[in-house]
Amino acid sequence: MRIAVCMKAVVDSQARIELDGDGNLRQEQLRYEVNEYDLYAVEEAIRLVDGDNGEVTVISLGINGAAQGLRKGLAMGASDAIHVDCDPDALDPNGVAVLLAAALREGGYDLVLTGVESEDLGGSQVGVLLAEELGYAATTLVVRTSAPADGSMQVRRELEGGEHATVEIQLPAVLTIQSGINEPRYPSLKGIMAAKRKELVEKTPADLGFAELPARRVIALGLVTPPARELARMLTGSAEEMAVELVRILRDEEKVL
Amino acid sequence: MSRSVWFVAEHQDDQLHRGAAELASAARGVGDETVAVVCTGPGGTVSQQVAPFVDRVLVVEDPALDRYTAGLWAQAIVALAKERGPAAILLPHAPLGRDLAPLLASRLQAGLMTDCLELEWDEGLVGTRSVLRRKLVARERVATPVAVVTCQRGAFSSAAAGTPGAIEVARVSVDAGAARTRFVAMERAEVGETNINEADVIVAGGRGLGDAEKFKIVQQLADALGGVMGASRPVVDQGWVPHDRQIGSSGVTVRPKLYFALGISGAVQHVVGMRESDVIVAINKDPQAPIFEYAHYGIAADLFKVVPALLEALES
Repeated sequence: MRIAVCMKAVVDSQARIELDGDGNLRQEQLRYEVNEYDLYAVEEAIRLVDGDNGEVTVISLGINGAAQGLRKGLAMGASDAIHVDCDPDALDPNGVAVLLAAALREGGYDLVLTGVESEDLGGSQVGVLLAEELGYAATTLVVRTSAPADGSMQVRRELEGGEHATVEIQLPAVLTIQSGINEPRYPSLKGIMAAKRKELVEKTPADLGFAELPARRVIALGLVTPPARELARMLTGSAEEMAVELVRILRDEEKVL
Repeated sequence: MSRSVWFVAEHQDDQLHRGAAELASAARGVGDETVAVVCTGPGGTVSQQVAPFVDRVLVVEDPALDRYTAGLWAQAIVALAKERGPAAILLPHAPLGRDLAPLLASRLQAGLMTDCLELEWDEGLVGTRSVLRRKLVARERVATPVAVVTCQRGAFSSAAAGTPGAIEVARVSVDAGAARTRFVAMERAEVGETNINEADVIVAGGRGLGDAEKFKIVQQLADALGGVMGASRPVVDQGWVPHDRQIGSSGVTVRPKLYFALGISGAVQHVVGMRESDVIVAINKDPQAPIFEYAHYGIAADLFKVVPALLEALES
């Protein structure tokens, strides 16, 4: 089985997020890391090909952090990598899907896995849009996979309120992988060394046949700081003082103790 | 030209999802006409249930639509939308919308905005959504003739029921043979002995606890308060606590008298499951953590210093 996994470099959870005077994100203080959901997808792909001589290709579209993310995927056990070198801010999710599809179309993959969403933008669009571009079936929020049989596989989708649905999906397919489906491995030193020798192909949009980037269907109008909500009454003092004050409030004012 | 805004009515076992009233109000805010699209097997009552919230119900009845599958519902809705040209189609940002919205957008060549918090009409459909871990809000405008949108649960107030709109049965043929996904079975995640829904006091811990060993302090505080221990999703994913303790969109929704959030940042997936609690106390060392926007009382400090002090204060 041949599986491709989409990986996105996302703004680090610890990064300082600030707007400058013109409402643009201050780029200089941003750091990037691999989208955590995608690590679950990489792990699931590696497990699915284990034992059937299959191969996993990792692919990432982006500029900052994309190549490093792919190296991590290779170190975890992917065989090769494709870096689509394009500024994601110049695209909407449909554009990302169109370019990824162009890079994956010739690969003849049985499965394409993505994380359910990206941690920074949280659109949860690209997986299914990519499936449509490739002409693949798709399902989302997958928390369990099974070995394919007769050109299809059974997967479990996570619904709400603790419910799951088992769905049978025909291959080739795109699955968006939910966190918690497995325990993503940490790359071993051996894996990290081996990753350096694996192939990482660079593709520009022009290499993929796009002299111009796909037109946006959704226009970004700008970023704003969220309106201030009513904040909690913040307690101050030493740990002991705050603890005593909180117990007093909960007992005497709120009467919940 | 009058602007018709549709939403997809979510239902299961012939019960309309209560989120439908939220989508109805979101649609009403940006359109001249509010239309619910119902895909259902023959003989259901979902159309009647949704009619009081809308001007019109468009229902497609076909045995193949009885159980939700994205591909078949998309066939029906795409055919209807191509024929009648709505300005926008709204769906819940939930398992249904995550599957179905991108299918509709792709097949209608429509711009898609997901997880929207607000919508307005300003030379096209404009939506706002939280980005960068809820630290910023992005505004976007759909540039195509049809817009597809998913709305965050709870972001729009529920529409009030009124005079039921007319129900129109639409003639659309659905090719069940073209389906590439098939519903097999519904399952419930295993439920343990503790029924967290009924607890008066819940002490929930998040990733900020660090590891499974350190997480035990959550149980200690829960015990001291006579309450029940809960957790946010990352903690359950890590295997520190069982799934039946998970509070939030993919776990349970709780409404205790007292809710402690320890080391929980306040991701929306968690907040939707606890924000209705009577009294919410948050302890988190990041003073900018979004959880403080939902808490009534906040302590921005190291929980490993505060919780032991709390345990002591509770004894006295």
